[in-house]
Amino acid sequence: MAFNNRLLRALSPADQETLRPHLRWSELERGTVLVSPDEPIKHVWFPESGLTSIIAMAGTDQGIEVGLAGRDGLVGMPLVLDADRTPHRIFMQVAGVGYSIDGDLFRTVLDNHAGIRKLLLRYVQAYSTQTTYTALSNATHTVEERLARWLLMSHDRQDTDEIPLTHDFLALMLGVRRPSVTIALHSLEGLGFIKATRGLVLVRKREELEEFAGAGYGVPEAEYERLIGQLR
Amino acid sequence: MPRFFLHIDDGTQRIEDEEGSELLDLDAAREEARSAARQLWASAILAGHDIEAHRFVITDNDGRVLETVPTDEALPKRLTGRLGI
Repeated sequence: MAFNNRLLRALSPADQETLRPHLRWSELERGTVLVSPDEPIKHVWFPESGLTSIIAMAGTDQGIEVGLAGRDGLVGMPLVLDADRTPHRIFMQVAGVGYSIDGDLFRTVLDNHAGIRKLLLRYVQAYSTQTTYTALSNATHTVEERLARWLLMSHDRQDTDEIPLTHDFLALMLGVRRPSVTIALHSLEGLGFIKATRGLVLVRKREELEEFAGAGYGVPEAEYERLIGQLR
Repeated sequence: MPRFFLHIDDGTQRIEDEEGSELLDLDAAREEARSAARQLWASAILAGHDIEAHRFVITDNDGRVLETVPTDEALPKRLTGRLGI
């Protein structure tokens, strides 16, 4: 069966067959915590659909999103980098499905299969480019521009134009209060780029949204395509 | 916890808060509106927009208006005095 996860898809057939017997398919509900801060990572996930959010914690129950991964990536990146845990929290922000593999087994596979290891290291590079552009965006862009960027990044990682997101989640993603999200959605809606209804954002004019998002969107995506392959 | 809706009236139309927030009580909702107003002003000033006419309309689950909070409450008193607002 063909994979939807872009990393699994980019592996050679032989490397795919190496991993396949160890992959366990699971449904991932919204809110499922895949990685807890400072706890040993026991499994690595390859999402086939849905979105995971990587959160830098400020204290025990607050934080801001610093990274996004879905079918483009994997969850449990520290294991690729020879680390066993992270201060970040990673959870399902949009429900989906994915494959998991036992963490110890995953490390052994990486030790023995350079093709898999190299691809995943290139993904780490692509992901790190994404986070640097998140830093750029957080420092220089308006809430509207950041929202546009964020919607595009979510849109890239799913097949439909409807993104199931509550304002609460968007506020966490953008590190702002909810009324700022309400106003930003209203602005993008006024420009005709999106349609926002309760818990759902419909992307209507993708190209215009890209133009609006400016420098925050495009470079990390091009970098992903250069290093891994097709993102969308 | 009760759910409060912080709609934004921009002087010509009401931007609906469709989802609302769970907050302890009306005081907490008022405080949330004030904090949000500070953030809205900060963004507005950076973008060169005037949001003087904006106000928060706080409603309950049944759509009853509980309170209206002008966003200029967030501005420092010295500033509003000087502007004659």
